[in-house]
Amino acid sequence: MAKSTRYQNRIELLQGTLDLLILETLRWGPQHGYGISQAIRINSGDVLDVETGSLYPALHRLHKQGWISSEWKTSDNNQRVKIYRLTAQGKKRLAAERSRWDRLLEAMAGILGPKAKENEA
Amino acid sequence: MTRHKRDQELKEELEAHLRMAAQDRMDRGESHADAQANANRELGNAALVAEVTRETWGWTGLHRFVHDLRYGARVLRRNPVFAAVAIFTLALGIGATTAIFSVVYGVLLQPLPYHNPEQIVRLRGVDAKGNQISFSDANFADVRAQSRSFEGLAEYHFGVDAVSGGSEPKRVPVAYVSHDFFSVFAIQPVIGRVFASEEEKPNGASAAVVSYSFWKDYLGGRTDLSSANLVVANQAVPVIGVLPIGFRYPEDTQLWLSSDVSIKPTSRTAGGWQVVGRIRDGFTLQQASAELSGVARRIYRQFSEDNYMHNAVAIPLRDALTEKARPALLILLEISGLLLLVACANVMNLLLAQATARENELAIRSALGASRKRLIRQFLAESLLLCFAGGLAGFGLAYAGLRLLLSLAPQNLPRLNDVAVNLPVLLFAMAVSLALAGALGVFTAYRAGSADLQASIAQGSSRLSGAHKNQRTGRTIMAAQVAVTLVLMVGAGLLGRSFLRVLSVDPGFRTEEVVTLDLSFSGRDGNGQRIARLQQILAQLHAIPGVAEAGTTSDLPLGTGGYSDGTFALVNPQQLSPQTLSLIQRYTNLKGELSKADYQALGDFFTPLFADKAHTGLGNYVAASPGYFRALNIPLKRGRFFTDADTVDAPHVAVISESLARQTWPDRDPLGQTIEYGNMDGDLRLLTVVGVAGDVRGTSLEKPPTPIVYVNCLQRPQKAGELSLVIRTAGDPSTTLSAARRVIRELDPSIPVKTNTFTRIFSASLASRRFNLMLVGAFAVTALLLAIAGIYGVLAYSVTRRTREFGVRIALGANSSSVLKLVLGQAVSTTLIGVLVGGIAAYALTRLMESMVFGVSTSDPLTYAGVAGLLIAVALLAAYVPARRATRIDPMIALRTE
Repeated sequence: MAKSTRYQNRIELLQGTLDLLILETLRWGPQHGYGISQAIRINSGDVLDVETGSLYPALHRLHKQGWISSEWKTSDNNQRVKIYRLTAQGKKRLAAERSRWDRLLEAMAGILGPKAKENEA
Repeated sequence: MTRHKRDQELKEELEAHLRMAAQDRMDRGESHADAQANANRELGNAALVAEVTRETWGWTGLHRFVHDLRYGARVLRRNPVFAAVAIFTLALGIGATTAIFSVVYGVLLQPLPYHNPEQIVRLRGVDAKGNQISFSDANFADVRAQSRSFEGLAEYHFGVDAVSGGSEPKRVPVAYVSHDFFSVFAIQPVIGRVFASEEEKPNGASAAVVSYSFWKDYLGGRTDLSSANLVVANQAVPVIGVLPIGFRYPEDTQLWLSSDVSIKPTSRTAGGWQVVGRIRDGFTLQQASAELSGVARRIYRQFSEDNYMHNAVAIPLRDALTEKARPALLILLEISGLLLLVACANVMNLLLAQATARENELAIRSALGASRKRLIRQFLAESLLLCFAGGLAGFGLAYAGLRLLLSLAPQNLPRLNDVAVNLPVLLFAMAVSLALAGALGVFTAYRAGSADLQASIAQGSSRLSGAHKNQRTGRTIMAAQVAVTLVLMVGAGLLGRSFLRVLSVDPGFRTEEVVTLDLSFSGRDGNGQRIARLQQILAQLHAIPGVAEAGTTSDLPLGTGGYSDGTFALVNPQQLSPQTLSLIQRYTNLKGELSKADYQALGDFFTPLFADKAHTGLGNYVAASPGYFRALNIPLKRGRFFTDADTVDAPHVAVISESLARQTWPDRDPLGQTIEYGNMDGDLRLLTVVGVAGDVRGTSLEKPPTPIVYVNCLQRPQKAGELSLVIRTAGDPSTTLSAARRVIRELDPSIPVKTNTFTRIFSASLASRRFNLMLVGAFAVTALLLAIAGIYGVLAYSVTRRTREFGVRIALGANSSSVLKLVLGQAVSTTLIGVLVGGIAAYALTRLMESMVFGVSTSDPLTYAGVAGLLIAVALLAAYVPARRATRIDPMIALRTE
């Protein structure tokens, strides 16, 4: 069953990574909530699926902290949607988060590295 | 941006999300309906998402609180049955506790409405055995002269007198008070004045001070008192002052006369005076009591012969007033506290069941980032809502309950007029339930936020771990509830059995078809005049059709007046010398004309007779007419009753009650014995015992029969100034009563009459007992109902939670009777624990009820066994419905639903 394999391939988001994903997604341009969730899903090759129940609280939290701004726009088919945009402060934040994430990856790779090689061999 | 607008926008944002998701799905080829449904499913609970999102906005305290309340109200509205039961339960507990405590506060705790009321004390003498006795004037005068710690001391006595001169002749409570009485209470008249020195010296002018209500009702409320003249006990008395509203001390006094104008007996044994005093500023109650006691002992040392008062005590007036009501009220208060506990236990159980049912929701909320603090706040908001609603309904119940209580309360409960719904108590009861519910809310929220629960939900497996814990808590609460209910029911059972015992007591006379008329005769009549009047009344009463028998008595059994007891001397006629006999004869005929030496001689003869304990007896003096015994069906045991031949000039005779015969002449025939009882009525002629009558319960059905000496009121009418006519009717009592009333009015319109029936007197004498039984019974029934609801709730909930388990059991071959047994067994074991604990508690607690039970022991095994059996049966019944449901579980459905 396609559905269940998709589920099996999904990975639970690590705490705090959702913020990073949202900020990263918005770096490519303003986007509405649904668009953000779709972008994350597609860009992760269907591995990451952000739940609405996590997405909107995160968006509102980031907005409150001033890292993203929002505005209402009328879409092509004449419907109102709320668009989020990265702020200057948000860009700084993204950079900081990124470097933190890179450090984490490095550290993890340092630990996991040898075993990965073994597998390759 | 306003909150409302933000809410709107959030809603719109989520709607847009849904729309886009659905559109995408349709683009991918799903049908419109499928796309909508799937998009919805993907989004999840939109309200919950919005709710959690809103939380990230950050809340101001008030906003958050209001929001929590709103959310709580939504939750309650979604479970109307749960909410209604919880609110009703709380309302019952809060209402009952508040109503009872309001009575307790009004009667026992509220300060008296006088200036510095804590300084006012009642003084009581103490006799050799430690019993409290009244003062004699001589002892009072000495105490007053010798003690320094009282600002003022006053003596008084009170009773009911015939009063005319206002709207109509009436029997009115009158107090005879010494000077300083009003200053002890620091009471100023609102009109006129209180007694001046002229009205407070021996043989001074008599004057009356009246109560506000008497002035309004009887005197028409005229401000000019110069024309207000009353006739009190056949004495003309001008009204000189009106006291402020509400002052009615002692008892329900309407009229105060100075006691100082009459000559007071000088004997130290001539008791009958009550004493009140005000402690001087700067002295404590302990200091005043210590000094009083010292003074009283010194007086006794000085005048030890012919003095009963060995000591004296000072009791705060409030305590003295409420002495009798106190134990019963305090027990009722404890009981209502227990009921509040049961109610709280029920609400706790409900909340617990509710919380478990909501574990899923809680876990999701906490997974979505709601902090533990947040969940706790949410639960507290719900508890607060429940308690507030319960408190409001409880206030209504308390108000209604209090009115019911007051209408049912026995009239002798003191200070009833001061009772009102007590707000602090209402708040207290609400606070207690809030604290319990709140503690439970915190507990549940804490657990909901804990990792293991989240884990168990994440696993998607059964929620048994949490549910199991909750079930254990629920069962503990259930056992506790059963225990408290058992205590209440044992209390009610003991009172119920006592009441039956009291009812089955034979009063010694018949109470059916008997009507009574209370009369007051003028105090100035001569004996002959009064006898003639009595004979005339009795003859005319006998002539009324429908009157089967008529008689009179000075004291009705079970009446409110009480008997007068006194010592009589066993005197053999041979002991009387011709000299003494002639003295007695002269004393009888021409009272005023005896010389001082004659009095001395009489005193010398009688004093040693009464001092000789071996030749005296104690009895209750009752003056009755021949028809009295027949009217009340009091049986004759030996000898004869009074007859028409017993005239004033014939030898005076007495009929005694069986118990008096036994106690006075244990090994001799009482018939023909002679006694001297002139100390009661002033007639020194000896009384010859001619008959023994059956015992009657005179003061109370719960007290042993009253030993009585009946004298013939057609021979000795002295004590028949206040008397009751007793009529046994053959026809309609009301027509007989009005005919009898007419007889009295035609005879003398100035005689005040009060009518009653004996059934009513009888039932009034049971009023306090009935009242207590009703209250405790109502509490017990309420507790039982709550317990049934509690047991049902716990088990019904437990069965629902264990559907899967039962499904497995049934699938594995368990038959329905074994499943039934399983559930019922659980109920029985929990109930048994409760019954055991409750039994021990009841055994300890009902000892406090010792004074309220009659004829049964507080550890009466029958009551305990009956109550325990009833509770277990009721628990089984309450458990049967959910147990039955457990047997009907379809294993296939059960296994699929989890």
